[in-house]
Amino acid sequence: MVVTVNLTKMEENPIPEIIKFGGEGIVKCIQCGACASVCPLSLAGMPLYNKKLFKMLLSGYFEEIIEDPSPWACVACNRCVEICPRDVKPFQVIFAFRRIQVREFAMPMNVLGGMKNLYEKGHAVFSEAAEIRKKVGLPEMPPSTLAYPEALKEVQTLLKNSEVAKLGVIPMS
Amino acid sequence: MVKIGVYVCHCGENIAGVVDVKAVKEFAEKLPGVTVAREYLFMCSDPGQELIKKDIQEGLVDRVVVAACTPRTHEPIFRKALEAAGLNKYLFEMANIRDQCSWAHPHDKEGATEKAKQLVASAVAKAALLEPLEDKFVDVERSALVIGGGVAGMFSALELANMGYKVYLVEKEPSIGGKMIMLDKTFPTNDCSACILTPIMVEVGTHPNIELLTYSEVEEVEGFIGNFTVKVRKKQTYVDWDKCTGCGACIDVCPSTARVPDEFNQGLNKRGAIYIPFPQAVPKKAVVDIEACNNCAGRKIGTEPKKTKSGKPLLAPCERACPTGACDRSIAWNPEGEVVELKVGTIIVATGYRVMDKEHFKEYAPDSPNVLTALQLERLISATGPTEGKLVRPSDGEKPKVISFISCVGSRDERYHTYCSRVCCMYMLKQARLIKEKYPDVEIYMHFMDVRTPGKDFDEYYTYARQLGIKIIRGKVGGIEKLPGDRLRVMGFDVDLGKPIEVDADLVVLATAIELPEDAKELARKLSISMDAAGFFKELHPKLKPVETSVEGIYLAGCCQGPKDIPDTVAQAKAAAAAAAVPLSVGKVKVEPLISEVNAEKCSGCGVCVPLCPYDAIKLVDVDGEPRAQIDITQCKGCGVCAAACPSKAIKLYGFTDEQIFAQIRALTVGLQQQ
Repeated sequence: MVVTVNLTKMEENPIPEIIKFGGEGIVKCIQCGACASVCPLSLAGMPLYNKKLFKMLLSGYFEEIIEDPSPWACVACNRCVEICPRDVKPFQVIFAFRRIQVREFAMPMNVLGGMKNLYEKGHAVFSEAAEIRKKVGLPEMPPSTLAYPEALKEVQTLLKNSEVAKLGVIPMS
Repeated sequence: MVKIGVYVCHCGENIAGVVDVKAVKEFAEKLPGVTVAREYLFMCSDPGQELIKKDIQEGLVDRVVVAACTPRTHEPIFRKALEAAGLNKYLFEMANIRDQCSWAHPHDKEGATEKAKQLVASAVAKAALLEPLEDKFVDVERSALVIGGGVAGMFSALELANMGYKVYLVEKEPSIGGKMIMLDKTFPTNDCSACILTPIMVEVGTHPNIELLTYSEVEEVEGFIGNFTVKVRKKQTYVDWDKCTGCGACIDVCPSTARVPDEFNQGLNKRGAIYIPFPQAVPKKAVVDIEACNNCAGRKIGTEPKKTKSGKPLLAPCERACPTGACDRSIAWNPEGEVVELKVGTIIVATGYRVMDKEHFKEYAPDSPNVLTALQLERLISATGPTEGKLVRPSDGEKPKVISFISCVGSRDERYHTYCSRVCCMYMLKQARLIKEKYPDVEIYMHFMDVRTPGKDFDEYYTYARQLGIKIIRGKVGGIEKLPGDRLRVMGFDVDLGKPIEVDADLVVLATAIELPEDAKELARKLSISMDAAGFFKELHPKLKPVETSVEGIYLAGCCQGPKDIPDTVAQAKAAAAAAAVPLSVGKVKVEPLISEVNAEKCSGCGVCVPLCPYDAIKLVDVDGEPRAQIDITQCKGCGVCAAACPSKAIKLYGFTDEQIFAQIRALTVGLQQQ
């Protein structure tokens, strides 16, 4: 079996969409690897880590990678943005790809849990930290929808008027 | 009655592709004063020029208008043609129907043709009022100034001196040699840098035509090509250089309390307040760094020594050690030094570069003593360096077992400098090879984004480095973590394996970017030369004028113009010397007559023009007891600001007189007037 990739036969070009969703830096990437040397995705061995994702997109891959859950492990640590010598803002490209994945309903299912939490409680990622906060002298609830439940209405209004609402992936009553 | 000849050029398709050249020619035939109108494919070609010359020689025309491209490139050609035919070359006017017409309106053929006609009408109206003018000539001072005594400055100076010209070489450090003398070996031959450079330094130091002014800086530059007046400050050395033999006895006794980081060794060790920068210094003379000096035994400069109980003078250790009395603190040395004035014909700027400090790169553990810049490593492995060439870790003096080299630190980087510093790939390979050849058991890892080895024998040099077992990894390093024992964990990436990698290193070498020091801006201001976006001195044309600047008579050589290695530096230094020698050998500089002149009878002495002149060319002088403006023809660039501002209309700008400009306006508005 021949594994050679014929670049002229690639059918897709995902770059314009990536640019539309905020990842315009991707065209400046020279694949130096600096972001990959410090990215938690890369260090944890995720198959579609940042540099790899950019190369696949720039080479015209789309169908083959659209369902890969790797980009959802990005924790927005910003190391990639700080170290990139070409001002690619790799974090923004990852998030642009995430937006496309959601639109294609190709995101991992546990993402929906996070989105549900965001709508119902105002936080995507949730942990019971009240005890620890009290121990270190912080107010039990962070200054978000947890401390100000009336702000939840504002968060829900924003989400109801966003692109995500049109997809109908989570109940928004 | 003038006889105006109009020559309309096709310029191949550049003009004719848009403008109806025939129609323009026919239009020109009917303009007032025009006796001949012709069209041709390429007016600038020999046959094109022959058309003009023939018409002049047959007496058909005595004013010439060429409707073609830009006078910026082609005016000199046509002026020469007029001169060759015996007509005053300033009886020539060009209408730009290419850059300002066909190129600007490529899709509007009708509109462009109309505009071309108007431009020709305007040029013809002016041509009718042109007067014959004569060039003036000013004598050239047959000497040159070279600023900077590194490899570029030295080679420029030697070329000029060998041609027979007097050269002043000004260098801000106590010795010439620049960066090259700091290097251990040079690629690709691995020649000992000092061994190949010191003969040049000695030649410069002993050449009868070169006057060496070290520990000196340029203060002020005035004048113009052929006649620059330069003020140079010879900084105070506090040592009598006429008596100093460079024996070095003083530097051994300077106490440890007066020691400061040694700039020559890139801060890896300390030097005393009195010092000689390195053993092969030219001139080899001691210098006192007065800020670092302790004034031992209360020996303030310019005071008599205290006496001991027995009446002996209490001298500072350096004074006592000096066998010739060169180090004499009783002399009231002037801390301002001495300002000398030089008169030179041309100037070459060869002020070199500096490397970025590691402090800027917080991701690369810059506070670790075992993270070094490549220039620091170069000093470390040099025989004249802080360890006499023994490769040891600065933290504990032990031999490193694992060394990581990191390329493109601050270069090719949007956050610092976007350009490639050009020499680092080669010098990193050089340093790696020198270490591996001397200590084969040391593990060396080199982290490159790309490997750039374009010169003669450079790629072969790279191949040999791989054969030695030096590990070369493609992938930029993202960070360095500190490990116990002052070791370092280099967090990199292997692009070819597609995996993040780490190297536990004893020593990390950063190839930091080449840039210009802060005072480069100040020097550019003094010389009125430009700097480019990358922060280097700007050459006049990136392709065709690599050593000239926007100021006639000032040239560039070496890294101050852009990063380059030693072979390219020497080539550019010789090129700059050749360019700088041209005015010196011609002996005269032409002053174009298209400048302003004050009619002293009309001038009221109001002085409005004086501060307006951007070139400081106007002064008020006494004429029969009254102040009158006077324009220095050597400074005037013919900008016309003074002529426009003069309330008495006393200033005439030759070649752009009020009458000529009004005639052009009238010609351009003919159609509107009729409306």
